[in-house]
Amino acid sequence: MKNKFLLIGLGMAAFFILVAVFAPFISPYDPTAIDQDELLAPPSRSHLFGTDSLGRDLLSRIIYGSRVSLSIGFVAVIIATCFGLFVGSCAGFYSGLLDSIVMRFVDIMLCFPTFFLILAVVAVFEPSIFNIMLVIGLTGWMGTARLIRAEILSLKDREFIQAARAIGASNARIITRHLIPNAIGPVLVNATLGIASAILLESGLSFLGLGVQPPTPSWGNILIESKSTLGVAWWITVFPGLAILVTILSFNFLSEGLKKKFG
Amino acid sequence: MLSYILRRLLGIVPLFLGITIISFIVIHLSPGKPTSIEQALNPRVSLETRAKLDKIYGLDKPLHVQYVNWFSRLLRFDFDRSFRDGRPVSEKILERMPVTITINLISLALIFLLAIPIGIKCAVNENRTFDKITTVLVFITFAMPVFWLALLLMDLFCIRLGWLPVSGIKSLDFDYLSPLGKFLDMSKHLILPIFVLSLGGLAGVSRYMRSSMIDALRQPYINTARAKGLPEDKVIYKHALRNAILPIVTIVGLSIPGLLAGSVFFESIFAIPGIGRLFYEAVMMRDYPLIMAEVVLGAVLTMFGNLIADISYAVADPRIRFKGNEK
Amino acid sequence: MSNLLEVRDLKVDFLLDGRAFRVVDGVGLDIREGESVILAGESGSGKTITSLCFTKILPRGARIADGRITFNGIDLLGLDADALIGIRGKDIAYIFQEPVSYLNPVFSIGDQIAEAVILHQKKTKREAFALAKELLMQVGINDPQRVLFDYPHQLSGGMNQRAFIAMALASNPRLLIADEPTTSLDVTTEAMILDLLMRLKDKNKFSLLFITHNLSIAKRIAERVYIMHKGRIVESGDTKEIFDSPRHAHTKELIRAYEKIGRI
Repeated sequence: MKNKFLLIGLGMAAFFILVAVFAPFISPYDPTAIDQDELLAPPSRSHLFGTDSLGRDLLSRIIYGSRVSLSIGFVAVIIATCFGLFVGSCAGFYSGLLDSIVMRFVDIMLCFPTFFLILAVVAVFEPSIFNIMLVIGLTGWMGTARLIRAEILSLKDREFIQAARAIGASNARIITRHLIPNAIGPVLVNATLGIASAILLESGLSFLGLGVQPPTPSWGNILIESKSTLGVAWWITVFPGLAILVTILSFNFLSEGLKKKFG
Repeated sequence: MLSYILRRLLGIVPLFLGITIISFIVIHLSPGKPTSIEQALNPRVSLETRAKLDKIYGLDKPLHVQYVNWFSRLLRFDFDRSFRDGRPVSEKILERMPVTITINLISLALIFLLAIPIGIKCAVNENRTFDKITTVLVFITFAMPVFWLALLLMDLFCIRLGWLPVSGIKSLDFDYLSPLGKFLDMSKHLILPIFVLSLGGLAGVSRYMRSSMIDALRQPYINTARAKGLPEDKVIYKHALRNAILPIVTIVGLSIPGLLAGSVFFESIFAIPGIGRLFYEAVMMRDYPLIMAEVVLGAVLTMFGNLIADISYAVADPRIRFKGNEK
Repeated sequence: MSNLLEVRDLKVDFLLDGRAFRVVDGVGLDIREGESVILAGESGSGKTITSLCFTKILPRGARIADGRITFNGIDLLGLDADALIGIRGKDIAYIFQEPVSYLNPVFSIGDQIAEAVILHQKKTKREAFALAKELLMQVGINDPQRVLFDYPHQLSGGMNQRAFIAMALASNPRLLIADEPTTSLDVTTEAMILDLLMRLKDKNKFSLLFITHNLSIAKRIAERVYIMHKGRIVESGDTKEIFDSPRHAHTKELIRAYEKIGRI
């Protein structure tokens, strides 16, 4: 297959998903297990990524952290996509006043720097994994909404739709036969990019202490500790960040591959 | 063009209304009243006092009345007082603004100075070595968490090599330095934050410039330019560039939300006293008046950024500036 | 009369995905001084590419594989880049189809014409603009002072084409190549532009190579015709001969096509 991006992206993303799913089987140690003899130890054969200042194995924490980060990424995007599809379809199908109001709403939401809004919400509601999923999802649906609305509007205009209606095709049939095949590509591209950005947002939030709370490991909150171990324990800074980087890279590759595939 | 600008300006009103409504709703969705934390921390606060506090903050009135009160105070730039230290919020924001604005402006300037030539070079050398390498770098930059990069660089340059100071915007002995010394000191403190802030924007804008330029170079009028006998550099830097740069004009306005979001991070990491850090502290302290003010401020700045972007484009593109009229 | 332009055995390849497709396959043509010649053929026959070879302004991926092009005795294909640039616009000029796309939308008409003037003649900006105004008048634009400051999107197709012609003739080229300049215009405007071209040709004494798929134009403006089909010249001769006794199947097709629409 000539689409290298798709292949590589899919492969890498699948790798991380598998790691997250099979974490208990892959992880060399319990992520909360403390090894008192090896506090803040550099990478060694017994601890491949080293240990943190509490003596916990970093590799295990990172593996378990993938569960948190990936699940937040996926669920947030599912929320965002569903909400976006719903809002966008309403606006596209029903046009008129509903459309204008809804699009105004989208414009207003787009005025908020996403991160500001998320922080504000986290301040109001205490940070829990579910809250984070919800708020990232509810601040990221606008792109999908615009997309699906545009697809519906362009479809409405096309003559063959009028022809289809004339022979009695129902709305449902039109949706399944025409709308979904056309819209699915861009929506998927948006979704994969959304997963990447959701993971980035979550790690940022956790790093600031407003996301996933310790002791639950998330790549972002492991990095909190690196602030105090700068210059002393490079492995605590490098490995979690690398995990974030490579994961996001894989979803970016995946979206590029999907972009090429769906034109 | 004038009617377009007027329409856009009028559109600000409902947007602003919407922004304030949403901000208000978000904050007041909290399960407890905004004052509950304060009171909860202080067990000696009697029910009487709580009632008094509620009255002062107008929290005993129905929500829509609260909204109208808050909104009218907003219009007068009265953002209420911070929960934390009682100082007026507007004062706190204003004193931190200059730092954030300066850093962001320098960063924007840097981004454009570098990204535009890089984008042009990529387009002219499409799919050749320079373009390929730059594309790889851009991909990596897009995937890199900004705060992680900051940590890595701090580790390397501040701690291990000791070349740059770790935090803040000035050293302890700042006041004793000569003007040149002050300038150098501040520069040393700001290099890392500005670099980190600019990197993301650099990747994005150069990418945009590249595709804009590639588009422009494919247009028919480039053929004409060559057929006229123009040397290749004039074809690229005069005919293509003048067209390719039009959409870039909008980016300045459009990068505002990204810069604001970024500032929360790196101001915290580098201990820079700007409005990003202020927001972070407010969130940590659940300082609601400050949080609300910053959310509204952020949204309003974004809104104006979009407005400026649209207007600049309308002015820069002759096809919009002068409406076509067939003769 | 000597040949101003001689093309012999021109071969052009298009490179796509590493493979070469021959789009011009051994084309030869002559244009004499002061002559008006038509190069006719259906879309994709290779006529535009052929004309672009004269000054080597080929699109990306196109490559001249073989042939000789002589202009005024000079071997064009052997010239270096700088010398070629010297010829473009000055000795050989082009006008294209759909002038609004071929004019730069962000520069005014006056700017673009003045640019052509300054490029090949040593004039100041003010002198160039004055000359531009003159040229606009010569191509039949009634309000040249205003048009100088207009942008392409503000003018009609016909006006744009006139301005384009003014720009092309700014430095008095010996050969003007007109690539389907009237195809996107309505019939009335087309007639006016063709008239204009003929008048200017008589006045400035340049040779004209007119590329089109509408053979009927030949009757009005050309002395000789070349018919091109799938990258080759399949027939050539005096206009009258071609119409009275066309020999190649494709020529007959072209004549028939326009007869049907009633344009011949």
